[in-house]
Amino acid sequence: MNRRKKASLMSTEFFLAVFLLVILVFMRIAAKEFYSKNNFMSLLNTYSYTLIASIGMEMIILTSNIDVSTGALISVVCLLLAAIGKLGAPFAVLLPVAMAAGAFLSFLNGLLITKLKIPAIVATLATTQIFQGSLNMVSEGSIYDLPASYTWLAFKAKLPGGIPASVLICLICTVFGLIFMKYSRFSRKIYAIGNNKTSARLTGINVEKTILATYAFAGVFFGISAVIIGTAGQRVTTTMGSGLEMTFIAAVVLGGTSSAGGSGTLLGTVFGAFILSMISPAINYLGISSNWSDAIKGAVILISVLVSAARNIKKKRVIPSVSGGGVS
Amino acid sequence: MKKKTFRMTFNLALFLIWIVIFLFIGLRSPYFFKPAYLISTMLRNIVEIGMVALPMTMIILTGGIDLSVGNILVLSCMLGGMSAAATGSSVVGILVIALVGLLCGFINGIVITKAKIPPMITTLSTMYLYLGIARGISQGNSVYSFPAAAWMGNTIIGSYTDPVQLPVQILFYLVLAVVFVIAVQKSSFGRKLFAIGLNENAVRYCGIDTDRIKIIVYTVSGLVCALASIIWLGRFTSVKYDAGTSFNLKVITIVVLGGTSINGGVGDMKGTLLATLIIATLNSGLTVMNIPIDAQTIIQGVVLLISLIAFSIASQRARSRKVIKVVSQEKG
Repeated sequence: MNRRKKASLMSTEFFLAVFLLVILVFMRIAAKEFYSKNNFMSLLNTYSYTLIASIGMEMIILTSNIDVSTGALISVVCLLLAAIGKLGAPFAVLLPVAMAAGAFLSFLNGLLITKLKIPAIVATLATTQIFQGSLNMVSEGSIYDLPASYTWLAFKAKLPGGIPASVLICLICTVFGLIFMKYSRFSRKIYAIGNNKTSARLTGINVEKTILATYAFAGVFFGISAVIIGTAGQRVTTTMGSGLEMTFIAAVVLGGTSSAGGSGTLLGTVFGAFILSMISPAINYLGISSNWSDAIKGAVILISVLVSAARNIKKKRVIPSVSGGGVS
Repeated sequence: MKKKTFRMTFNLALFLIWIVIFLFIGLRSPYFFKPAYLISTMLRNIVEIGMVALPMTMIILTGGIDLSVGNILVLSCMLGGMSAAATGSSVVGILVIALVGLLCGFINGIVITKAKIPPMITTLSTMYLYLGIARGISQGNSVYSFPAAAWMGNTIIGSYTDPVQLPVQILFYLVLAVVFVIAVQKSSFGRKLFAIGLNENAVRYCGIDTDRIKIIVYTVSGLVCALASIIWLGRFTSVKYDAGTSFNLKVITIVVLGGTSINGGVGDMKGTLLATLIIATLNSGLTVMNIPIDAQTIIQGVVLLISLIAFSIASQRARSRKVIKVVSQEKG
């Protein structure tokens, strides 16, 4: 009993929480302006869209797949939203449209992976090119002069205390995600597939259908995230989401989820996403040039992965099975 | 025996695809067929990507992946260019470039093998790290070429009167390609790469130091990136920190198009060479045909998808045959 308690205290989530706390306290001492209302609110906004998309990415990575097309997918959804928003569509229309579009595009990824048996990383690599290319074909770079109804979420919708409404969306998504990943039967299937695809199939799980559903489901989260990213200003460009997929994958990995799938918790991702979205503003307020933010991001991910690997090596001295990922 | 015929046909298919694309573009715009254009534009533009695709094939054969190649390339460009500018000597520049490439690749290899972190995660984080260091050191400014790099990037063998002028970097690429084809297809080292990709544990129990081989492969990848970065810097005369961002995916596209399985263990170096030709033809050919760059991106994606689908159908058949064989052997 005692031992089990100790094990849970040593978890990745616990380490991340402590790490996060240390940074927050350090920022309090070193740079008080970091906690200024403006900065903290914009940090929360960044955190919201990072975390929401990371929830989707977490699900995909748990099935031992991956999605590198998320950034391009978000760009597509953003532009679609802008096109509708230009006509004066309110937020109540934009959100469901984004969710549906995200789910549809991500479902296409899922189809390539399950039906055509293409490894996830290459399939999504190809769709990245197709998404990004078709995006530039359709629009001439950007859609601008969007009406006030479009940017309602970013400028008008505030919770008491000036907290951006995106935080509320994020909170709903996170609570839903935490409960869903802990108690639903579907999430059990996701973990089972990630651990051992063959045995999952033999126990009667429809692997293809589950992976398809996971991608579609993750797409809904990408769509929600795209709403927050896309409606942040009056101008929407075709590269709104470029490169974001790496941040999402990094948040998931930083949160202790194994990239081979099957193990990891959403709680870790919640902390991981916060640490990653905090790095840029924190560096800024510490007086270091923002040009160093990527290097620090990389170092933080590398160190945290190394630390968790060091603990795992101590735990089990077994040669790990070859982590090719897609044993199909 | 059967497997060999299958692999032959895949390369043959790639070759046929290339011929079709090549003829199609050539017939639509005759300017394309001029040897001067083919060599000094089409091939010259693909050299860096093609070079890095060679060690990338090795890495993917072992079941790994390297997402940081483009950023190794840019980082070594940056540091080399800056040190050459500071000391005024090209030798220092070249040395620094080689050293940085070597070190970056070595770090990847060490972290992957000794800390047992999956290659994708490792190179994802080092991608950020190398990109970030390049950005931080240059403070977002461009780094400029130095004489030795300019020689590598712009020298053309043969005078203007000759019918064919050969840019020097193509020569480097050809030498490298021959070395890599021999190393992968004909040497025992190459056999080990395939074996690691198929079953790493089994190879380890055979008494082969898999860690050492993997470290070598990643370090070689870093070195080739360094060589490519010299040519890159010479060809563009200035490089910014974000120049390598889409480079990684282009390289992986070529390797996968060449029939190397992303799960490792199955593949062919010659396929990578053919795929390099196909991508080069597509890139330059579509430009000649005045097709906008965005449509080119889509076409590249579609070509990749089609080849993947074809490959997965073909390999599924081969695999099902193989599985039956293995099972029956076990029973017997």
